[in-house]
Amino acid sequence: MKSEDKPISILVIEDSDEDYEAFMRVVKSLPRTFSIYRCEDGDTALDFLFPEENYREPTIAPCPRLILLDLNLPGTDGREVLATIRSKKELNLMPVVVFTTSFNQKDVNFCYGQGANGYILKPMGISALTDTLHTLFRYWFDFSILPELS
Amino acid sequence: MISLNYIFDEPITLTNCDLEPIHIPNAIQPHGVLFVFNEENWQILQVSDNTESFLGYAPDDLLTKSLNDIFEPESQHAIASCLAEDFDAVNPLTLNLLNPQNETILFYGIVHRAPDNLLILELENPTADRPDDFFQFYQLTRHTLTKIQGISDLRGLCQLMAEEVRKIIDFDRVMVYRFARDGSGEVIAENKRSDLTSYLGLRFPDTDIPKQAKELYRLNKLRLIPNINYQSEALIPTHCPLTNASPDLSFSVLRSVSPIHIEYLQNMNIGASMSISLLKNNQLWGLIACHHNTPKYLPYQSRTLCEFMGKIMSLELSNKEDNENLDDKIRLKTLQSDFVESIYHADDFVDAVGRDRERLLSLVNATGAAIISNDLVMLFGKTPSENEINQLIDWVVPLLQNNLYYTDSLPKVYPPAVEFKDLACGLIVVSITKMQRNFIVWFRPEVIQTVNWGGNPSKKETMDEEGNIRMSPRKSFEKWQEIVKLKSLPWQPNEIEGIVELRSSIVGIILKKADELASINEQLQRSNNELDAFAYIASHDLKEPLRGIHNYASFLLADYHDKLDIDGVNKLNTLMELTTRMENLINALLHFSRLSRTDLNRNNLDINKLVNNVLDVIKINQSDFQIDIKIPEKMPIIKGDRVLSEEIFVNLISNAIKYNDQPEKRIEIGLLMEKPDWALIEDPCFQQNIPVFYVKDNGIGIREKHLDTIFRIFKRLHAQNKYGGGTGAGLTIVKKIVERHGGQIWVESKYQEGTTFYFTLSGPNEK
Repeated sequence: MKSEDKPISILVIEDSDEDYEAFMRVVKSLPRTFSIYRCEDGDTALDFLFPEENYREPTIAPCPRLILLDLNLPGTDGREVLATIRSKKELNLMPVVVFTTSFNQKDVNFCYGQGANGYILKPMGISALTDTLHTLFRYWFDFSILPELS
Repeated sequence: MISLNYIFDEPITLTNCDLEPIHIPNAIQPHGVLFVFNEENWQILQVSDNTESFLGYAPDDLLTKSLNDIFEPESQHAIASCLAEDFDAVNPLTLNLLNPQNETILFYGIVHRAPDNLLILELENPTADRPDDFFQFYQLTRHTLTKIQGISDLRGLCQLMAEEVRKIIDFDRVMVYRFARDGSGEVIAENKRSDLTSYLGLRFPDTDIPKQAKELYRLNKLRLIPNINYQSEALIPTHCPLTNASPDLSFSVLRSVSPIHIEYLQNMNIGASMSISLLKNNQLWGLIACHHNTPKYLPYQSRTLCEFMGKIMSLELSNKEDNENLDDKIRLKTLQSDFVESIYHADDFVDAVGRDRERLLSLVNATGAAIISNDLVMLFGKTPSENEINQLIDWVVPLLQNNLYYTDSLPKVYPPAVEFKDLACGLIVVSITKMQRNFIVWFRPEVIQTVNWGGNPSKKETMDEEGNIRMSPRKSFEKWQEIVKLKSLPWQPNEIEGIVELRSSIVGIILKKADELASINEQLQRSNNELDAFAYIASHDLKEPLRGIHNYASFLLADYHDKLDIDGVNKLNTLMELTTRMENLINALLHFSRLSRTDLNRNNLDINKLVNNVLDVIKINQSDFQIDIKIPEKMPIIKGDRVLSEEIFVNLISNAIKYNDQPEKRIEIGLLMEKPDWALIEDPCFQQNIPVFYVKDNGIGIREKHLDTIFRIFKRLHAQNKYGGGTGAGLTIVKKIVERHGGQIWVESKYQEGTTFYFTLSGPNEK
């Protein structure tokens, strides 16, 4: 439980506004501050992670501590985003948790194969979502030691 | 070539006459002289014992000489050029021989190379005719050729040839004799002295002309025995010094005749005999057999002419034979091709072949037919019973050659057929596929036939002086009628050909079907993949807005809770319940659709353990109820998918608990190998010797009218809020899992008394 005053950056790659709103609602209710960055599709996410166009300034484009990745995205989809992150030296240690509706075992295996650090199903209902996110964040930010990224 | 010398020293009888080496008799008929000579210097190696009377030289004199010593230079030249060419084309030769008195004597000679490579020269006395008179030859044959052209059918040709040959040779009787498939023969044309008894229509058994004699007829197209009571002339010395064996006289015109054959001819009261071979496709088709009651010599010229006639007739045979019953043949051929055409476009051979009963039968002029396709037997016309046919098929399978078997005397080879001889003495069986039991069968009834034999054809046994039993040729050639029973009319070669063609078209249909199946499979694979994609899309794209609705309803409740009255709050709560239910339905649908496509992971499953695991899980969840669970039998170890099999038991046992309002819920889980007394339904699975599992309860039971629908997906028999709710997919999923294992599931129930589900986890062919 270090430096609670400094918000933890999380990148959420999520195309659904409703899911994002539910997510934000839950995040705000949690007893900790986060700075949440959202990309609505895969291409934007890759631009964000590999600054070339929109996010050149480090203040606008800080390096997140955790990526929550939806799989089915318009354009470049989540699987490809995951593969790209893992193929680049700068980010291949970045924790990526897949956060999706799909419980297809093929997707689950694929993502772990690509080096995903977790695979979580989006639950139905606000209380279930609160439970899920609360546990997830405690796991990553209270109990886990995160890698040092260059 | 036949060379069974080991029996050569035994007396020849009918039982062994098939083995008699008649091509090496080591003797000749006395109407000519035979020389065996050396290739290099024409040194004479063997001569017949009659040279003194013919040539004036004693045999011993000649054995010291060369042919060059006794023939004039011109004749030597003729022999030399004959040896250099095709013998057939240049024989006979006119040869001038110098006798010991240095007088020139004219002979006709034939030179040939024997199968054992020895050179043989045969001489006969010339007659008044000049052998090389081409004009006379032309005159004699011209008319015959013209007449042949005017005849269209086989019988006419045979009759004409008998007449013409008799004109040339002036014998008492000339017959055309045709061999049947079984080797027996029948006189099909005859021209004779009017006072003689006719042999026309008489049949002679296979044994009358033994195999090796038939072979010699094939090789040597004309055979003359001028006097059947001749004294044969031995060859001197008995063995040829070159080969140290008796020379092979297969092609010799003077070759001495088998004693059995002589006896046979003597019994027929014949003085002279001549046979001209008739060949079709180089196989012996028949003979022109000529008999004269007294000895009669024929000069070379007449013989050459007869041989020529035989060749002409041989050439004409195929032509005329094809024209035999031409209308019938054309009709049959048309029928066959129509039939083949009609089934070619069909999808199913049973359907196609069985569609036109009349045509199926007339294809081979049958009176009955059957199509056997696995367990299905379709009968057409007059046939034995289904059961009899099945037994017949079992018998015939090992006898099939090229997928075909046929006979016109079934009861002889298959004695049970005597029972249904009026339906099936003739049989054709064609097998369509090797792997499966697919046959087409045709039947013909018994037709009692009369065969006129030339004498009783069975071999005759006589006792000789020493009391040994000896077979000898029969004495009488009087017409001897045999009534042939247990035979149908014979199947004709063109009928059999039609069947072979039919089979290949049917095989074509089957292959076409297999191709279609392959392409359907491919389509199915594709649509399965599409379904998979669809299910996936449904999972994501339907659930996302659903989740949104749910979440927004809960936002409303949270944010506007003070502005809503009780009714508004209730409605929002209902909205959230409904979305939850819809999510459950979507999940069940997904699970179900995935079940049919994921691979089974079959392992050995100890069902005891598996059921106990399931019970442990269920008991934890249902701890507040009184539940009595019995497992009377020890459960087996079977092959199955662990996760899916557990799901079956979870679903069935949960249902048994859920749909039960007894104070004490009783559940029995067990194993059956046969139908127990208490089971109501006699299911075929009970007879297949495979384990049948059951889950039996004392619950609320199912009304009979609902039994059909309980396995239908999302079908619920009760209101949503009764019996703990549920999606209504559980039993559908159970059924799917059972079917994936190749098993079956069924249910029996008494309303308000209880329900029993039975299922198997393997098909009848696996255990």
